[in-house]
Parts: sequence; structure tokens; C-alpha cells
Amino acid sequence: MSPAVTVAVDLAAPLLALVLGTAGAGKFFGRGGPRSASRTALARLLGGGDRAARALRGLGALELLLCAALLALPPSVVTGGAATALGAGFLGYLGYARRAAPGASCGCTAGDDGPVGGRAVIRAAAVLAGGVAVALARHPWWIVVPSHPAAASGAVLAALAGAVALAPDRWRLPWRRLRLRLTGHPLDGTRAATRVPVAATVELLERSLAWQSAAPLVRSALLDHWDDDGWRILQYSGVHGGGGGARPVVVLFALDAAASRDGVREPAVRVSVLDADTGEAVALTA
Amino acid sequence: MSAYRTGDPLDRRRFLTAAALRGATVVGSGVIGATALGALDADAAFAAPLRSLDPAVADATFVEGRITGIDGGLLAVAGSWGTYARVRVTAATSVWKVRATTADAIATGDGLYARGVPMPDGTLAADAVWVNIVHLHTTVRGIEKTRLHLAHGSHEIVGHVLADTTSVSYSGAAPTADLSRLRIGQDAQVLGAWRPSDDSVELVRVSVGPGAGHHR
Repeated sequence: MSPAVTVAVDLAAPLLALVLGTAGAGKFFGRGGPRSASRTALARLLGGGDRAARALRGLGALELLLCAALLALPPSVVTGGAATALGAGFLGYLGYARRAAPGASCGCTAGDDGPVGGRAVIRAAAVLAGGVAVALARHPWWIVVPSHPAAASGAVLAALAGAVALAPDRWRLPWRRLRLRLTGHPLDGTRAATRVPVAATVELLERSLAWQSAAPLVRSALLDHWDDDGWRILQYSGVHGGGGGARPVVVLFALDAAASRDGVREPAVRVSVLDADTGEAVALTA
Repeated sequence: MSAYRTGDPLDRRRFLTAAALRGATVVGSGVIGATALGALDADAAFAAPLRSLDPAVADATFVEGRITGIDGGLLAVAGSWGTYARVRVTAATSVWKVRATTADAIATGDGLYARGVPMPDGTLAADAVWVNIVHLHTTVRGIEKTRLHLAHGSHEIVGHVLADTTSVSYSGAAPTADLSRLRIGQDAQVLGAWRPSDDSVELVRVSVGPGAGHHR
């Protein structure tokens, strides 16, 4: 092995300990309990939320124990093998979860409600790879770090970047918020938008006296709309008159295209009703 | 009335614009929910059908399901609960699919809500159909230039921002095209159109802040 690879392999133990420590602490000390455990695929495997909660807590304890061993003991085939077996177990469980209970949460890290996704699989594979590295390592990390400070800080930075990339969605939110604060809101371009959405015009119409008087004729939802010379025309279809005299009509409303209920309390609406067959005007009141 | 009769949609709109502007002007605010059939914009797809106040109008009926076949203006619809319906769409039927559109935009495999009147031949004469409409309670998990990442229960949903259509209502105010006040972590009521091809949602209206989804 080249010297760089040797250093990286020797540093695997503390990095893996960090991963197992956070995941294990989340499971062991997490307050999710049986309710959130019942949403995991583990509940399906073990037959019940209570059992799944106990299993998750036990697994958390195991992860914390392994974390302590990785930090305190020199690297060995025993600790490395245990981490490898854990990673392989995670992978097997995820494969089972994806097939048996698609959409269920994996329970991998406490409070992660998302379904089993690519990130969970990569996390499990990372644990497996980390275990193999620990098994192959020759020097304890507390000897390697002082003698290779640059490599050690590089490894920590790479591990942090990896942790952010692989973190469950919930943990990424603060990071995303920070990124938006630094780079600006991606939708800032719409701040100056002066266009009034059609939905706002429809809302204004539905709160108008004109709507109240014409609505009994209207049968369709919004059929068509367009802007013309500052006006917004909203077209509906309806039925005028009852019984034998009933005939299909077109109901048209014309509103100020720039108005919404934020600025207008008493909307002025032009209403007209046309015979749908001839296009001739029909009196609003039957 | 020749312009009204011609097939050219621009001529038709010009004629209808002139007719609309000749109409009587009515000034004032009305009683919300004044219509006999409930609100008539996209929200109406989720409103319970109200009984008509006019005894001459037959009670409105709702049909819901996936479109399994289209034959001219007749849609075959398989309901979610094993029912089967045939829905007739005419020129007087409003068609919503992201926006007000025509029956040409309807495709086999689309989801459908329809309101109309039952006919003696067993079909539903649709007054209004809403295609692929969804109404979801979500949390904003990520914001990008062309899409929002939303969490709906344990599901992650991609919501596409449509430049000419997507609007946001902040704290119950009127919908606006200004999307810059959306924040990560906000609860958002989303009205949109499901896209069957990739299971994403095209965003039509997003309501955030106190009173979101309850402003009616």
C-alpha cells in the first residue's frame, strides 16, 4: 500500500466511530419510541412497533459500544470484522426493506422518516467499507494523527463533506437554509413580478356582487380566460332559464387585469350573458 | 354573429371581449360561496357538491378515477373503489389541467375529477372536469430555481415551478406571482397537477403561513 493509502486506512477507525456514534446515540437516546418505530420496515420484520423499538434501542447500544471500541482499542480484525458485519447486515436489511415494505422508513438514523433511499444504502456501504479498512489498518489513530496532521485534517474535512452529502434529509435542512442565505433565494427573480395570477382574479370574482348575481346561471368551472387592453376576461358556460325554455349560455366577466382582493374591496365587474348557439345577448335575470 | 361562429379562436375571443365589455357593470363585494354549485375554480374539485337551490337543476354528481379510454368526447373512467363511469365532455365543459385548457389535453392514464349531471343513458354530462388535480399538505424541504422539494408524510415530492402559472398565497392574502418569500421548513398547502410520467407535481398554487388553505 502507498503511504497515503496507509494513512487513510489508519484513520478509518475514528471516522467510522463518529458515524456509528451519532447513529447509535440517535437510536439509543431517541425519544421516538414505538410510534415512530412502527413506521420502519423493522416493525414489519419483527411483527410490531414495540419489538422494533426495543431492537432499535439494542442496535443503538451495539453501535455505541463499537464506537467506543474503535476509539479506545488499536485497530484489529475483531473490531473491523464487527463493523464489516454490521455494514453487511444494514445492507441486507435495506434490501429486505425495499422489497418487503417499500415506502416504509428504514429507521437507520433516529427521526429519519424518509423511505429507504440511495443515501441510506450508501451509508450502509460506507460502514462496511470502513470496517474492512479498520481490519486492514496497522497503526492506532492516536499515533497517526500527530505524525500526519495535514492528512488527518484533510480526512476530517472529507468526512464532514461526506456526512453532509449522506445525512438524512432532516439534517440537511439547516445546511440548505444556510446555503440559501449565502447564495440568495433561488426565486428572487419573481420578487418584482407585477403579473396578477389568474387565480387571484378568480378569487376576486368569486367574492364580488357580480358573481353573486350571475352564479345561479353558471354550471362550468373557468372555461377560458385571456387579457385584452388591461381587461381580463373570464369565460364560463351555463344554462339560462328553466324547464322547456332552458338554453345553453356563455357567461362572461370582465375585470381589471391588475386587480386582486388585496387592493380592491369593492370590485367592479362587467357581466354579460350570451346565447351559446347564436351569440346574442341574454338578459341576466331570467 | 359571423365572428362568433367562425372557428378561429382569436376572432372568437375578440367577439367575446367586445360582448363582455358591453356588459352591465356590477360594483360590490358578494357573499362568499354564493354559487349554487360551490366554488368554481380548481378548489371546487375538493368541495362537497352542494345541493342546487334551483329545483329545476338536477343535483350535481361527482365522478373520480383514472381515465382508461377516450372515444371522441366520451371518457371511460375506472373509479378508485372499483366503480366504472363514462363521462361526456362537450364544448361547454370546462377542462382544467394545470390551467384552463381544452379536451385535447386529456390523455389516457390521467386522473380525473368530474362534476356534472347524470344522463338517462348512464353517462355523466360533465359541466367541469379537473385532470390530475392534487391537493396536498406538505413541508418545504428545498428550494431551487425551477422546483421545490416537498415532504408529504414520508414521501418526497418534486414540485415544478411554472413561470407563467405558479402562484403563492402568503398568510391568506391574495395569490401572487412573487415566490421569493417561500422558506425552507414552512408548511405548505399545495394545489397542483400530478404528472403521471415521473410522479412529480406541477405547482399551481402554494399556500403558506397562518390561514393557509383555510382562507375560503
